[in-house]
Amino acid sequence: MMILQQLRHLCRRLLEDGEVQVVIGYGQSRPDAPAYPIFITRADDVDRLVWSDRCFANLTAYLTRKEIRALGKPAIIVKGCDERALVVLENESQIERSEIVVIGVACEGVGLPKCAACDVRMPRTTNMVVGEIDNPDVPATDRYAALDAFMARSPADRMAYWQAELSRCVKCYACRQVCPLCYCQRCIVDKNRPTAIDTSASLKGNFAWHITRAFHLAARCVGCGECTRACPAGIDLMLLNLATARAAENSFGYRPGMDPEAEPVVGSYRERDQEAFIR
Amino acid sequence: MSQTISRPALSRLVDAWISAGHMVGGPVRVKSLSQDRWGLAHFAESSEQNVPVPLSRRGFGLGSKDDLVQYRPLTAAGDLLLEGFIRPANSIKEFLFPRHEKLYGYRIAGKQIELTEAPLLEREQILVGARPCDAASLPILDHVFHWDCEDVFYSRRRQRTTIVTLACRNHDEHCFCTSVGLAPDAPQGSDAMLFDLGNGEYDVRLLTEKGRRLFEGQTQSSDSEGKADPGPERTVDVEAIRHFLDNGFDNPAWRQSALRCLGCGACAYGCPTCHCFDIADEGNAAGGWRVRNWDTCQAAMFTMHASGHNPRPMQVQRQRQRIFHKYRVYPEKFGVVACTGCGNCTRSCPVGLGVRTVLEALQPEQTS
Repeated sequence: MMILQQLRHLCRRLLEDGEVQVVIGYGQSRPDAPAYPIFITRADDVDRLVWSDRCFANLTAYLTRKEIRALGKPAIIVKGCDERALVVLENESQIERSEIVVIGVACEGVGLPKCAACDVRMPRTTNMVVGEIDNPDVPATDRYAALDAFMARSPADRMAYWQAELSRCVKCYACRQVCPLCYCQRCIVDKNRPTAIDTSASLKGNFAWHITRAFHLAARCVGCGECTRACPAGIDLMLLNLATARAAENSFGYRPGMDPEAEPVVGSYRERDQEAFIR
Repeated sequence: MSQTISRPALSRLVDAWISAGHMVGGPVRVKSLSQDRWGLAHFAESSEQNVPVPLSRRGFGLGSKDDLVQYRPLTAAGDLLLEGFIRPANSIKEFLFPRHEKLYGYRIAGKQIELTEAPLLEREQILVGARPCDAASLPILDHVFHWDCEDVFYSRRRQRTTIVTLACRNHDEHCFCTSVGLAPDAPQGSDAMLFDLGNGEYDVRLLTEKGRRLFEGQTQSSDSEGKADPGPERTVDVEAIRHFLDNGFDNPAWRQSALRCLGCGACAYGCPTCHCFDIADEGNAAGGWRVRNWDTCQAAMFTMHASGHNPRPMQVQRQRQRIFHKYRVYPEKFGVVACTGCGNCTRSCPVGLGVRTVLEALQPEQTS
């Protein structure tokens, strides 16, 4: 409750002082319901803000949307995991941190599987942090545990798994739309002159789409898990991203969004790079 | 006097339909994810997982999806799930208007172009355990698919499909069938309807000739009559919405509810009545298929012109379009609302929006 009071107080001040024009936060229809994103533009509405362990959504996806940008300078409420997306968005010149007030919330977890492996319970680069946590950075499980369990299966088994899972994809693109890092103005799957990826939700078209998306997120995905949460067909898309995340960590010692100063694996190069294509 | 069938007898009948070569579809527990959504140990075969899970936690896009129930083709009667959930996350339209469908094939050799017709459905389809809010979508869809020309792909499937619905025994906070003039036992679109008597028996109501043929000689006379759930309280006034839409195109209230819409198609693709599609060619210079795929008015590309102009560049316009089409355009054209109140849109939405939530948000505007 303390956190919520502080949060509302802070947001009221930001709106009253004119420091921001909109607060991107969480609202709820009733106490135990999952929270949904809300956009507060008047100080008098700050009591609609909530904070609970049902605040699943990663709100940073809204920062690059033109409808939200049109509202003016935003303040945004982020958990430690969401904050990582902010860092990547800034690395990739999609946002200007000075144009955003970032309110971090100390988070004990929102009950998703990712929370068991969380080592970012306290936001680290936000303008302010609300709340405290006794034991912030001790994950209960290895962050690649689900991947290890999957990779222990035979290749034929894994292929059968993905065939069964991806056969349910209807190409609603909820995975793309909730993803803070899927901000392309025109997604490759929407390019039709010529068509790069079959638009059909056939098994072939679905493999092409999800593999392409996973590669586009390699060494960029921050592991917020919104794709898995959003999928109406219950496909665990995060599993694909875990594989590329581990490759980036093992090969380059890089975890996207963990260190604002770290050079991104994708998007940086050196003249002495060995691969010829870079020169 | 009513006609009843026991659950084992129903299962034997379903197996007999499958053995006869029919495509039999129904609700199946695709995945049980109650323990650990990302841990693979819990992904079990549907037929082994017949354990009901708490209703309040089920299949909500906003939260964790503990359980995924979908309409799927059945491999055996054991797959068929008839209780312990509100409704499947998808809709039966997949069996009549599939998400991806070949229209015709083409082969190009020099100056010769050869066209081949796509095969039409040959088998009989039987859908068992469909929800009344799914079945009711078919008479609605018939209008548009038989409007200015007959859609042969749809109408062939429609002719060959028999719908056995199961009257609802419960509802959740997203259901609003009663608001759109339907009910947990609405007969629209059903060939037969089952009522769970709670004692392992179903009261079978035979509504059409197709339904009668299916159950001929399979039922027993009984005194027990099934009763459905009374259904959700009416929360949406369709007439008031119509009235609001007549003059409410530019009402600022649209903007507020549309802000959080992320523009995916989860609502449209789980919707029993959404029927928009896009046509594409897939193949190469030598040949391929012309196909049609589901499309959604929520996608930014939906109305994009070849010139680059987009008449609906903002999400608020796209969300308004969805409501207008369902509650004003379709009724004006065909005399029926294109919504069965199933609530799948809200359940599937990653940010908790849906037809009902939008309509309720607009409600103060309608009365003022």
